[in-house]
Amino acid sequence: MTFFQYFPLIHLMARMKLKSKANALVLSYVWWILEPLLFVLMFYFVFKFLLHRGREDFLIFLIIGKIPFLWFSKSVTSAANALIENRGLINQRAIPKFVFPLVNINEAAYQQVVTFSVLMLYVIFSGYNDFGLWWQMIPLILLQYLLICGLGSCFTLFVTYLPDFRLIVQMFMMGMMFCSGIFWSIGDIADPHLQKMILLFNPMAVIIDGYRQVLMHGQVLNFLAFLPALAISLGLNFIGFGALKKFDGLLTRRVFM
Amino acid sequence: MSDVILSAESVTLEYQSRTGFLKQFTHKAIDDVSFQIGRGEVFGILGRNGSGKSSLLKLLAGTLTPDSGQVVCEPSVTRSLLALGLGFNNNLSGRDNALISCMLNGYTQKEAIPLVQQIGEFSELGQFFDQPVKTYSSGMRSRLGFASAVLAKVDILLIDETLSVGDNAFKQKAENALLKKISGDQTVIFVSHSIQQINKLCSRCLWLEKGKTITVGPTKEVMAKYLDTEQEQVKI
Repeated sequence: MTFFQYFPLIHLMARMKLKSKANALVLSYVWWILEPLLFVLMFYFVFKFLLHRGREDFLIFLIIGKIPFLWFSKSVTSAANALIENRGLINQRAIPKFVFPLVNINEAAYQQVVTFSVLMLYVIFSGYNDFGLWWQMIPLILLQYLLICGLGSCFTLFVTYLPDFRLIVQMFMMGMMFCSGIFWSIGDIADPHLQKMILLFNPMAVIIDGYRQVLMHGQVLNFLAFLPALAISLGLNFIGFGALKKFDGLLTRRVFM
Repeated sequence: MSDVILSAESVTLEYQSRTGFLKQFTHKAIDDVSFQIGRGEVFGILGRNGSGKSSLLKLLAGTLTPDSGQVVCEPSVTRSLLALGLGFNNNLSGRDNALISCMLNGYTQKEAIPLVQQIGEFSELGQFFDQPVKTYSSGMRSRLGFASAVLAKVDILLIDETLSVGDNAFKQKAENALLKKISGDQTVIFVSHSIQQINKLCSRCLWLEKGKTITVGPTKEVMAKYLDTEQEQVKI
């Protein structure tokens, strides 16, 4: 098969995975909406009612932070296990390794189309409707997809090579959740140097801040601020997919150890 | 050999498994094996349990890469390994699994759809073809696996002892389908410990013991040596 023949295959496998997962649950596709909703409500309950934190518009603020972060964490975690869960196919055919994390990443991305649509509807019903600037969401979503592919491919490599790395992935996601400004705003950080460092080295923090600027505040984005995130994402893709190609044979052995 | 489609050149494969903290167990599964396979040939790999037959087949299929030596095969040559019970997503229907299998063999989705229909008919799954594979019996799974591999057009078909599956009627049907493919220009690499199967299907074969080549050549010659050794061992 040629390189480009794999893309329709990735699309088909991702769609079929979605179908098979939905079929395995009683509420099927309803979970696509229900799961992020339950997460948001849980966070809202903790921060608003137990800790009495958060502002007037805390629910929408939280939703716009948490839903994209859930997309990020679910995709990267699922991509990390992609080779191990496909050992049956890997045992039978010589398929390039980049296919498997991309199937899992695309599966989560297709699901996200529905979740994001509901998010947008909620934003509209909440009275935020600067539609003229919403086109800025497209480069933001593409940047997040690129970041997910980069980190997902690197984690696929690490987890396959050393299964212990799965524990690190969980810790990393927890750390990212606290450092990406989901239940607080980057602007709340008092130290301007620290604020700058987070925006420079945590792409998810910049992306989430960007979603809020567009959807809540109707602002025009300063795209230069996203260049570090773009550079980090491109670098991770280069390392991750490059290594998956270079160490193909080694990874096949690791899957069966 | 005029038209070589696949060749193994001093291929060696070692398995390493972790047995404790910084401890590893190493086992040489294939040791310096060389041979060539011509286009349209039916090549057998013969050997007892644990002789390295299945490992060699995985090397030839390209799923494993050797530690030293090389397996030479043009990138455009499609290879499909038929080893039963693997490669299915249990939550997907037989139809969806067959579609993925066809696309992995290089078919486009449009080309694959009529072939998937044929796979459904050949495997005699009836309404089960549209049910998740997890509801299948082991016989149904093997029928689906066999049909998916045999009906798709691939340049090299690699078969790992699969003709002993299913009931007698399906076994006969499977053997006929395979013989039909072999009588055409299909290149087949066939692994078995069944002397009868190798004798019936293969023109040349390789006898493998503890990962090493004992002999390689026309089936009659290899078989004569193999049977002599077996008889000697029985006497002992």
